[in-house]
Amino acid sequence: MSMAEGRGRGRGRGRGQGQDSAPAPRRWLFARLDAFSGNKFFAFGVFIVALSIFLAAFGAMISPYDPQAATGDISVPPPPITEWPRLFYLAISGQLERPPHWFGTDQSGLDVFSRVISAPRADMTIALGGALISLFLGTFLGLIAGFYRNWATELMMRVSDVLQAFPVFITAMILVSLAGRETGNLVLALALVYTPIFIRLTRSEVMAQSARGYVQAAWAVGNSGFKIAIKHVLPNSLVPSLVQLSVTVGFAIILTAGLSFVGAGVRPPTPEWGIMISVGAQQLILGEWWPSIFPGLAITVTVFGYAIVGHAIEQKFRET
Amino acid sequence: MSAPRKADSAATAPILEAEGLTVHFRGKDGAETMAVADFSLTVRPGEFIGIMGEPGCGKSTAAIALIGLVRPPGRITGGSVRFMGRELLTMEDDEITAIRGKDIGLIVQNPRTSLHPMLTVGNQISRVYRAHNKVSKKAAWRHAIDMLRMVGMNDPERRVKAYAHELSSGMTQRVLIAMAMSSKPKLLIADEPTSGLDVTIQAQFLDQMWETANQTGSAVLLVTQDLGIIANYCDRVLIMEQGRIIEEAPVRQFFEAPKQEYSRRILATQRQEGDDASGEAHHGELTDAQTIIRVAGLCKQFPIRGSAEVVHAVDDVSFEIRRGEAVGLVGESGSGKTTVGRCLVRLEEPTAGDILFHDASLGGIKRAAFTPYRKAIQIVFQDPFDSMNPRWTVEKVLREPLDLHTDLTAEQKRERVVELLEMTGLDASLRADQPRQLSAGHQQRVVIARAIATNPEFIVLDEPTSALSPETRIEIIQLLMELSRKLGFAYLFISHDLTTVRVICHRVIVMYLGQIVEVGDKDGVFSHPRHPYSKALLASHLFPDVTNRRVDRAERITLEGEIPSPVSLPKGCYLYGRCPSQKAACADAPQQLRAMPDGREIRCWRVTEGDLPEAES
Repeated sequence: MSMAEGRGRGRGRGRGQGQDSAPAPRRWLFARLDAFSGNKFFAFGVFIVALSIFLAAFGAMISPYDPQAATGDISVPPPPITEWPRLFYLAISGQLERPPHWFGTDQSGLDVFSRVISAPRADMTIALGGALISLFLGTFLGLIAGFYRNWATELMMRVSDVLQAFPVFITAMILVSLAGRETGNLVLALALVYTPIFIRLTRSEVMAQSARGYVQAAWAVGNSGFKIAIKHVLPNSLVPSLVQLSVTVGFAIILTAGLSFVGAGVRPPTPEWGIMISVGAQQLILGEWWPSIFPGLAITVTVFGYAIVGHAIEQKFRET
Repeated sequence: MSAPRKADSAATAPILEAEGLTVHFRGKDGAETMAVADFSLTVRPGEFIGIMGEPGCGKSTAAIALIGLVRPPGRITGGSVRFMGRELLTMEDDEITAIRGKDIGLIVQNPRTSLHPMLTVGNQISRVYRAHNKVSKKAAWRHAIDMLRMVGMNDPERRVKAYAHELSSGMTQRVLIAMAMSSKPKLLIADEPTSGLDVTIQAQFLDQMWETANQTGSAVLLVTQDLGIIANYCDRVLIMEQGRIIEEAPVRQFFEAPKQEYSRRILATQRQEGDDASGEAHHGELTDAQTIIRVAGLCKQFPIRGSAEVVHAVDDVSFEIRRGEAVGLVGESGSGKTTVGRCLVRLEEPTAGDILFHDASLGGIKRAAFTPYRKAIQIVFQDPFDSMNPRWTVEKVLREPLDLHTDLTAEQKRERVVELLEMTGLDASLRADQPRQLSAGHQQRVVIARAIATNPEFIVLDEPTSALSPETRIEIIQLLMELSRKLGFAYLFISHDLTTVRVICHRVIVMYLGQIVEVGDKDGVFSHPRHPYSKALLASHLFPDVTNRRVDRAERITLEGEIPSPVSLPKGCYLYGRCPSQKAACADAPQQLRAMPDGREIRCWRVTEGDLPEAES
C-alpha cells in the first residue's frame, strides 16, 4: 500500500486537489498489480484477460457492424496502419458515412473487425466455461482421490489416465460429433478432456499436504476426516490448480478455435476465431491475408495474456 | 588410546597461518555484505581446533575460505593464508588444486549430496588418491579399502563396491572422512560433520576422526554449534559472531572463564540445564499418584509395499504413566520412540496391544471413537511451523480445539485464546499473526498453547525442542515444566537429547530397535545406567563438561556398527553384535524385560541374573 501511494505521488501531476493519500484509481491499480507480481508484463496480462471477458459480454454490442450480416463490400483490404489515426478521428467526429473496415472484409463481405471483437462471446464462453467446470470437478475429485486412498479412487485415477492418454483434440472431436455441435456440448466436451489434469494436480498436492505436520495436528486436535479435507487440506492444495487454470483457459481457446476450424465446433456464421481463420484460409493463396491473420493474432494475444497471469500467480505463491 | 601428543605443539612450526582473511558477499542490488572480517588463525600440527557460533555467523564461510573457496556470490576481499609457508590465496589454480585434497582435506555437511551417486565409493576414493599420487588403479583401489578399514567401516572389501545410496548416513560420513584422509593431509577441515547423526554414531565418528588425526599427526579444524563436541574433543576454541572472531581460548580455559558476553551467555544456558537437573525443586512426590496411562504389549508393524515383510517399529512395549508425571522416552532414530507417541494419540493404529486411559481401553477402538479422548490426550510435534495450518492466524489455530471440544460462546473463546497466549508467555496482540510471522520459539509456544487449550491430562511431546536454537530450547523447557506444575498434566517427553531429558523428566524409558531396554527413575538411569545399550548411549552423549572429556577417558564405551534393520530382526538379543559385554549365548537368546528389586526394569539377562559383574556396570 505504501508503495502504491509513493508511486501515485511521484507521478501524480495535475491532480491538484490535495488528495495525496488517495491516488487515482488507475495508477493505484497498476501499482498494486506490479507489487503483486513484480513482473512488468503482469499488468498487460491482466488487461488482456479483462478485455477478453469484457468482449465476451459486450463485444457484439459495440462492434461497428453486425458481425453476421454482409456489408456488401467484398474482400476489402484493411486501411494501411498509418491511416488509422486519421480515420479514427474522422469516424468519431462523424465525418464518415459508414465506419471504416479497420481489419477489412472477407469474401462474403463480413466486417473482420466486428467479427474479431464479437468472437469472444463464443470462444471465451466455451473455453472459460470448460476450464472452470474442469477446475471444480477436477479439484473435487482430486481431493477425494488424494485424501481417501482406496480401490474406488484408484479406479477413478486409472479411468482418468485412460482419458488423458487420448490426444485432447481427438477426444473433444469425438465427444462433440457424438453429442452434437451445441455450445453446451462443446463446454462439456472441453470440461471432460481437461478434468483429468486437475484431478492429478490436486491429488498429488493433497497427498503432499496430507503428510504435513499441520494435517497430523488437525487429526490430533480431534477433527473428522471430512473437516480436515475441507478446512485444512483443500485450501492449501489449490495453488497448482489455480496456476493451471489460466494455462488451461489458453489451451481451451486454441481447442475451441481448432474444433471450429475443422468444422466440429461452433457453426458459421456465428463469429468465432477458428471459423474466421478457416474461411479466410481459402483466400490466403489469393493474397487476402487479413480475414485469417487478425483472428489468428487475437488468439495469440489472448493465450499469451492468460499465460502471463498464470505465470505471475505461480511466482507469487511459490515465494511465500 | 590417549596417545602422547601435542606436548610440544607450541614449539613446532605452524602449518597454517591465516591473517586478516575477509570475505564479502555481493547482494542482488550490488551492495557488499561482509561475511567474514579479519579472520586470523594459526594451526599447529596435531591440533584439534573448534570454531563455534550461531547459524549465519560466518564460521563455515571462514573455514572453507581458508583453502580459497567461497560460495558464489561471495569473494575473498582481503587477507592472506599461508600453508606450510606458501601463500594460498594468490596461487595459480593448478597449484592450489594440488594442495586441496592432498595436504588439506575437507569434509562438508550433508554427506549424501557430497558423493557422486553413480560411482562406487571405492572409485571415488581412489580417484582422489590418484589425482595426487602416482599409483596404479589397482594400488589406489587397495588403498581405498585400507582407508575404509581405517575409518572403522566393517567389511571394507564389500563396502568399497557400494554406491552412496546403499550406505547409511553414518557410513557415507565415514566414506567422506576416508576420502579426505586418503592422502594423509596435514590439515583436515570438517564443517559440521556430525549434524543429523545419532549420538552413538556421532561418537564413533568423532573418535575415529580424533584417532586418525592422532595417527597421521594431522591438525583438525572443526566447525560446529555443539558445545558438547567442543568440550570433549577440541584443544582450542574460536567463537565467532557476525563474521568476527570474538574469543579464542584453550578449551578448558574457555569453559572455566569465558571472556566474552556471548560466550558467557551460551555457557550459561548449558549451566542452567545442569542446575535444574540437580535442583529437583519442581518435582513433587508422585509415588501415590493414580496411573492415567497404561500401555500394555503395544506393537506396531508397517507393511512394506510390494513385499510380505513388515517393519517392526514397536515391539511389545509396556509402561505406565501416573498423573502429573514426566516420563522421558529416549533412543536413537529408528528406535520406534516416535511411533509409540503417535500410537498414544492414535495417529497410528496399533497392530497389537492395548492402551488404557484410566479404565477405558483405547487400543482397539476405531479412530472416530477416539475423538472424545483427544480433549484429554494431546501431542506437540517437533516442527512447530509445520504443525500449524500456514494460512491460519494464531487465533484460528487456538480456537480450533475449543470449537471441537467445548460449548463456549464466541466471546468466551476469544477470552480463552488470550488466556492461553498469556499462559504460554505470548502477547495477546499475536492473535492476528500467521505462523510464518512468528519466530520458531513463539511458534512452538502457540503449538503448546493449542495442546493445553482443552486442559488435557496427558501430552505427548515429540522432540518439541530439537528444532530450536539452544537459548530458545531452555525457554521452552522452562515453560513446559511450569505449565505441567500449574495444570497438572502428565507428559511423555520423546527425545534423543539426553541433556534435556535429564532436566525435565521423573522417569526415563530407553528404547532400542522397537523394544524397551531399560526403565528407571531419572537419577538412577543417568548416574548408573545398567543395560549395556543405556551405558553406551549415555557414554556417547557429549555433555559440555571439560572435566570429564571423552578423549581423556581410559575406556570409551561405544557400540560397534549400526542399528540393525527393523525388517529382519536378530534372533537373540537385538544388541548382539554391537554390545561391548556380549557373550556367545546372547546370539540366540531373546531377551525379556525384567523388573529388578530396586524398581528398575532391564532387558538383559547378564544384568538381571547378575552375570555381569558390578564393576563392569
